[in-house]
Amino acid sequence: MNRGRDGRDGQDGQVGTHGRWFSFMRIGLAAIVALLTITPLRAADEARRIVDEVQKRTDVKSQRYEGLLQVFDAKGKISDKRWTVERLGAHGQSKTVLRFTMPAEVKGVALLVVNHPDRASDQWMWTPAIERDRRIALQDRSTRFFGTDFSFEDLEERDVNQYEYVLLGDDVVDGAACWKIQSTPRETKSSQYTKSIVWVRKDNYAFARFENYVKDQIARRLDYSKIENVQGIWTARQMEMTDVRRGSRTRLSLDKLEYNVALKDEDFTLQAIRRQ
Amino acid sequence: MPRRLLAYVACLVMCASSARPVDAQMLTQRGFLDGSIYLFPQDAPNDSTQVMGDFLAREEVFVKPAPWVQFAGGLDLRANSHDQVEDSWRLDVSDRGAQRPRLSLRRLTATLTHGPFTLDAGKQFIRWGKADILNPTDRFAPRDFLNVVDNDFIAVTGVRGVVQHGSETLEVVWVPRFTPSRVPLLDQRWTAVPEAPSATLIDEGAVFPDGSQAGVRWSHVGDGFEYSASFFNGFNNLPNVEAFAAPIAVPSAPTCLGCPTTIAVRRTYPAIRTYGGDAAVPTKWFTIKGEAAYFTTTTPLTDEYVLYVVQLERQTGEWVIVGGYAGEAITERRSTLTFAPDRGLTRSFVARASYTIDSLRSLGFETAIRQNGDGFYGKAEYSQARGQHWRVTITAIGIAGASDDFLGQYSRNSHVKAALRYSF
Repeated sequence: MNRGRDGRDGQDGQVGTHGRWFSFMRIGLAAIVALLTITPLRAADEARRIVDEVQKRTDVKSQRYEGLLQVFDAKGKISDKRWTVERLGAHGQSKTVLRFTMPAEVKGVALLVVNHPDRASDQWMWTPAIERDRRIALQDRSTRFFGTDFSFEDLEERDVNQYEYVLLGDDVVDGAACWKIQSTPRETKSSQYTKSIVWVRKDNYAFARFENYVKDQIARRLDYSKIENVQGIWTARQMEMTDVRRGSRTRLSLDKLEYNVALKDEDFTLQAIRRQ
Repeated sequence: MPRRLLAYVACLVMCASSARPVDAQMLTQRGFLDGSIYLFPQDAPNDSTQVMGDFLAREEVFVKPAPWVQFAGGLDLRANSHDQVEDSWRLDVSDRGAQRPRLSLRRLTATLTHGPFTLDAGKQFIRWGKADILNPTDRFAPRDFLNVVDNDFIAVTGVRGVVQHGSETLEVVWVPRFTPSRVPLLDQRWTAVPEAPSATLIDEGAVFPDGSQAGVRWSHVGDGFEYSASFFNGFNNLPNVEAFAAPIAVPSAPTCLGCPTTIAVRRTYPAIRTYGGDAAVPTKWFTIKGEAAYFTTTTPLTDEYVLYVVQLERQTGEWVIVGGYAGEAITERRSTLTFAPDRGLTRSFVARASYTIDSLRSLGFETAIRQNGDGFYGKAEYSQARGQHWRVTITAIGIAGASDDFLGQYSRNSHVKAALRYSF
């Protein structure tokens, strides 16, 4: 009986073992598929949450600062430029006017950036020497802005909704623990960059570094430093953009930074940038 | 009036020079000192001068005493080794002289803003054109053509009101007093004369129209593209040229046939109406820009015509490249002698390119080639900044072609220019 049973059991047991094995396989496979699916989703969700938090923590009504731009070429030569920047509005819908104040020959040159939540920004440049404004076309945004290592696109806002995110893991930048996140522009977002790798500090949700890629080659790297608390917002007082292909870099230092200053919408128009 | 103006401008300049950084929001200034040397390898039939020096000092001050008002003032001080600048030391406001004024009011404007409304009143620059090579719709933008291929804009005195609502902008301009373009001096190389002139040219001056000028422009900024339509009713800032021939009066001798003659030349400015428009449409590879205007007139012996330009524009890497075609279609030919560089540049393929070497150095190129091959103009420029204030620019200009072509007639005027500028 035992035998028979064993035999049956053996048979049953064999069938049962196979059945359990298949069940186990099915469950395991499903778990793996789920893991493979859910993990990136969770990673994407987590990445998105982190970038959302960064944006939330830096959300202000307006902003003003004076910037010193120091351009270092591959041989180390320096040229200095100064600009003032005023920004009005929430993330994704903000408007920015950037106006050069130094050197003297570019004094008054201004850039108006009107950001949109669902598409690339509109940009116009005012050149007082020829009394003309010129719209910066989308296909021209990858060019350098006024001899700096920032491209026109780098001057527009990166709204959280215009990118897809994946959390790549943890990393350390300048001794600070960071999340390492990959962001890929959505179809509606026209960009010269195929993807960006972003480092966000865990202690204060401030950006620590951006690496911007064209195809699989790194094109530009933006390093944030001197991160300080300004009016409750963790802000990098210094940024350095490196054009990896050219070997040049531009350091932007922020002076007289203020948040939530009184600015008017009418100062962010094409007519307004004509005024000095 | 000039004294008051002088006092006002002097006050602006003094305020600017004493401005401290703390006042930066309210008061700003910019200016430069610019010295240039021109070398012409060839002499011209009416001008044997081959080396010319030119100097320009410019100071502009902007005062913003309140968020809704801004004043802008600017002065130019000039000197020239080849009599292109007046000798007198008066402050010129109207910019109507044949020569450039020694001291002139470049601009003096009050700008008032209220919500979407902007009002500019005074001497100001008004640019309507959007293309880079030829601007048929730029009707309030006279130029200084003492050097035909190296010209600068002249401000007009008037009122400009703008209202901007979302993507739409409406601009209305009224200019009560006419400002002409400055034309080449008769005894200088940019007035082209035959190799062996049989006549002496005498400038009989200009007859300026009395009436005012007005224009309206509506523009729309779309998602990526933009376009505008404009209407202008006024006078062409480029003149018709009336010439009167008369034999030279030789004392104690009877008038003789075959003796050299004098030709008196007088400039008049025809009344015109223009209907214009422009558009800019970005594509994946280029931005396509077009600008056109239809010129009609009630003045006898003045052509009616359409000027247009179509150009492609692209920035790639360190290059900015613009190329296109400038054309003209004459709808009513009533020929008279004119000085019209805008029309003279049409029926041409035109291109411009600039290359940024680094943050201090750049190269520039420009060319116009007549479609029938009768005229060519080419320019190459190297520019280098040094420190925060200095810039050196070397420019070489080549001109060639047939003597009856607008460009070709200046074939003896190829030249090299070296300029040193100190900006402050």
